[in-house]
Amino acid sequence: MRLAHLADLHLGFRQFDRQTPKGTNQREADIAEVFRRAVDDLLEQQPDLIVIAGDIFHSVRPTNAAILFFFRELHRLRTGLPASPIVAIAGEHDTPRSTETGTILRLYEALGVDLAIEEPRRIVYPKLDCGVLAVPHQALAQAERPALRPESGGPTLNVLVSHGVHGGLGEERGTMEYGGAQLSRELLAPEKWNYIALGHYHTAQSVATNAWYSGSLEYLPPNPWGQLQDEAAQRGTRGGRKGKLERTGKGYLLVDVKSARVSFRPITPVRRHLDLPPVQAAGLNAKELDAQIAERVSAAKIDDQIVRLLVWDVDRTVARDLDHAAIREYKARALNFHLDLRRPESQRGAGSVAGAGVRRQTLTETVRDFLGRRPLDAELNRESFVKLGVDYLESVAREESP
Amino acid sequence: MIDKATPSPTAIGRVVATELKPATPHQFHFWTATETTVGIGAIVKVQGAGSTEQGAARVVYGVVTDGFAYSDLATPLHDVVGAEGDPARAADAPTARQEIRYWTAAVLRQTPEEPLQPVPLGQVFLADDADVAQALRMDAFLYSATPTAIPIGLYTSAGREAPVYLDADFLIGPEAAHLNISGVSGLATKTSAVEFLLASIFAHFPPHKGRVAAVCFNVKGPDLCFLDQPGNLSDEDRRRYDRLVVPAQPFERVKLYAPLKADGVNLNTLRTHPDLVGDVEPLTWGLQEVVDYAEVLLNRDDIDAKADAFIDFLRDRVLGRTFDDGFGGTHRVQSFADLDRLFRSIFDGLEITAGGRSDTWRTHHIATMRKVRNRLLNISTRCKGLVTDDGPASDLPWTEFEDRTVYVIDIANVDPLGQDLVFARVVSKLREQLERRELGVDAVVVFVDELNKYAPGDGPDTYVKKMLLDISERGRYLGLVLFGAEQFRSQVHRRVVGNAGTQVFGRMDMDELATPGYQVLTPATKSKLATLPIGELMVRHPHFTQPIFVRFPKPPVLRGRDGVERFPPAADVPFDDAVVRQLVRLDRRIRPNQVKDLIADREQDDVRRALAATRRTRPDDPLAYFRKVLGSRVAAEVPPAAPREHRAVQPLNPISDEPY
Repeated sequence: MRLAHLADLHLGFRQFDRQTPKGTNQREADIAEVFRRAVDDLLEQQPDLIVIAGDIFHSVRPTNAAILFFFRELHRLRTGLPASPIVAIAGEHDTPRSTETGTILRLYEALGVDLAIEEPRRIVYPKLDCGVLAVPHQALAQAERPALRPESGGPTLNVLVSHGVHGGLGEERGTMEYGGAQLSRELLAPEKWNYIALGHYHTAQSVATNAWYSGSLEYLPPNPWGQLQDEAAQRGTRGGRKGKLERTGKGYLLVDVKSARVSFRPITPVRRHLDLPPVQAAGLNAKELDAQIAERVSAAKIDDQIVRLLVWDVDRTVARDLDHAAIREYKARALNFHLDLRRPESQRGAGSVAGAGVRRQTLTETVRDFLGRRPLDAELNRESFVKLGVDYLESVAREESP
Repeated sequence: MIDKATPSPTAIGRVVATELKPATPHQFHFWTATETTVGIGAIVKVQGAGSTEQGAARVVYGVVTDGFAYSDLATPLHDVVGAEGDPARAADAPTARQEIRYWTAAVLRQTPEEPLQPVPLGQVFLADDADVAQALRMDAFLYSATPTAIPIGLYTSAGREAPVYLDADFLIGPEAAHLNISGVSGLATKTSAVEFLLASIFAHFPPHKGRVAAVCFNVKGPDLCFLDQPGNLSDEDRRRYDRLVVPAQPFERVKLYAPLKADGVNLNTLRTHPDLVGDVEPLTWGLQEVVDYAEVLLNRDDIDAKADAFIDFLRDRVLGRTFDDGFGGTHRVQSFADLDRLFRSIFDGLEITAGGRSDTWRTHHIATMRKVRNRLLNISTRCKGLVTDDGPASDLPWTEFEDRTVYVIDIANVDPLGQDLVFARVVSKLREQLERRELGVDAVVVFVDELNKYAPGDGPDTYVKKMLLDISERGRYLGLVLFGAEQFRSQVHRRVVGNAGTQVFGRMDMDELATPGYQVLTPATKSKLATLPIGELMVRHPHFTQPIFVRFPKPPVLRGRDGVERFPPAADVPFDDAVVRQLVRLDRRIRPNQVKDLIADREQDDVRRALAATRRTRPDDPLAYFRKVLGSRVAAEVPPAAPREHRAVQPLNPISDEPY
């Protein structure tokens, strides 16, 4: 039995201020397009079971376009693969904070999708001799969690679909979203399942031999650049051996449930995320740095792509004197061009006061300065807010001092 | 306590020296009346006549090491002739022959110490409390500003009784450390002596030296299972406790750890009586804990650098990481089951994918890998209950050891391989934590019985032996102190015995006494050692220049055999009853049926895990917590087999345009 494992579609996610000819956000359209391509591939691969492990939409109230688009694609899938059940669970992005908000996901029950939105469901497919325990975010977030175990005496094949954070995954590069329910090996018990399909982490990643995050279909926050580094690191550790699982880019997982053999189905992205080789600007003047930036840009095809160029140790005066006309041109060519200028260590954290010979701020001063500028709700008293923040900081400092 | 108010002494003898048997700086001879209380082991004081350059007369303290009795009879034949060959008539002799009691004593101390001179031919007195303190150089650590005296027993020779102390700096470190006790088995002297000494250490360990705890391995029967229960003490024992100022009560803080049995819920210990089993903490380890000490499993009969290298590889590159086996499989090994899966995948890969043409995988030969696999998976089978396939480990509180607490680890019923593993890991962790100063105490006494088995003088170099050697040689700097016991001292590794600053001897076997290690003892001392009664020991300590005989009171705890009689072990109960019992122990309001309903149809592994979490957390409402960890059941549902409704749903094209 073959299972297709998708997660973190985040349909309706918007980013940057570029629009399509139809007037919708370009990134939103990109994200929809990769899902369409995934559906095309699913129709070709014809899995016996399709699971979507949460975060179908980016928000509880997605755009109408996203709702309609998902309906159309699911309909296409149901029509193309009428015998393949589709199981979907709600992730934390799909879960309303209050029950009165309700959820749009119920709409898709009309298409025969088996949904688990608040409560866990154990769905048995006798034809496949397979049971699926679908555990949405809400079921894991509440005090009394369900037992994530196959049914004793149940079907031969057992699949768990869930959504949450496993261990310290993503901590290294800040690629794990906050707010996910905590998962652990003891909770999941991989040895008791044929396969565990997880959602929430945006890079394809195994947490046990038969337990995988499929990752998202597009590079999405948090820290898409970190996700690229995660992929590079995975390629580095795998060393290009024959028979390795190719996992370049984004896609979904196709799983032979019986043997827990997992293959990655890459989905061609609409546009690429280009992380240009970083520049070390220490000792460079503005012209020299301009030349280096131009060199990096000319070496890559940045048109309509999402680009970042990280420049280390850029003095404030050098940054001011850069060729901003050229930079504007890069920004116009790319869908998004992020020139990430990092100040030298000695100038970092100096807050609003900077420059040679200026005293570095203490942590308390930095926090006070930040809280003093941070946008606040109108009903909050800024003075009390700043005082409270500084008090917290000082109490922690007192506790930690010997 | 030293009694300084002793009556003025009466001389009991006088030093004599002849050309054949002169008095020397280290030995002297003296005679006493025929009727005397002096015996082997008695401490005597020689008061020299006159005065030294400093003014006071020379005083010499000695311990009696040999004794002689003879008369003016020239030869035995004279006596036979005198009695006309009839022994009965010998008693009717009209005159009694002159007899002499003549003693040899080894010098313990001279005052002044310089210049060191032969013992003066002065009067001999029996030593009182203060003399014993002087003779054994106890005054230095007994009367200093920061006393470090630990009572070990009472010197009770010659009708006198005086407390004898060890110096904590030389017993627990850092000057010297470790204690070794040997004696024949079956008299309960070794275990009793260590129990008493631990009580004494806990009562007298000087505050300026910090906090101290003890870790005892119970390797046979119920020996150390009842250290928190009071034993039967006689009035004489209580009087001795008072004299030594050690409380005659069991240990206040005892934490007993025992692995589980193969069923995972019943404890593998003899302390399973319902009234006591609540204090026993389970000891269970997972794969990580085992692999860190995998050398223990491998060095039993084959030391193999290749296997070591492969284990290092597993530890560094495989465990807890996402790992590509090179045959298309990705593994994350966190349990024995995962490990087995990885091995199978590699072997299958070599057999099938590589077509059997290769017998190496990442430079490791298949035979080495098979050996390591067998050893690692073997322990999870042989020590099931100690080693769990998955789930959180239940371990000693490595950062929260408590002051003056005894941690007993009961491995009496564990497979020998498992015993070695427990021993190696516990001692290594203690050393590691003490090095970091993160254990919670400053010094730990580790009591290991059966050193003949763990650190034999001959046989292969096992990991455990290496570890014992390491403690013996380096432990005193860290505060890791070994109290070792064995039956045959001569058969324990010389460096383990030799590094023990304090040596204690119980009743010894004559064969053992005939070995070279006991050559320094006189035949009389050996004879006394061979007949020592229960409760009496011979002690050697760095401050004592000669071995000293002491009596110690019966330990204030229930002996293992008595404990088993008073608290008979409970029979193993079925799984669900064992779970009920453990939960009821946490909260007596829990009804058995509630628990049984909750765990019906649940997998035992899950129940065990939930139980372990509840036991570890000790929540206010144990049942609710247990239920929470166990998780709620999710009922199965089967979607209708009939054609799905979606077929009736029309596509959106007629009513809507492509949204993007």
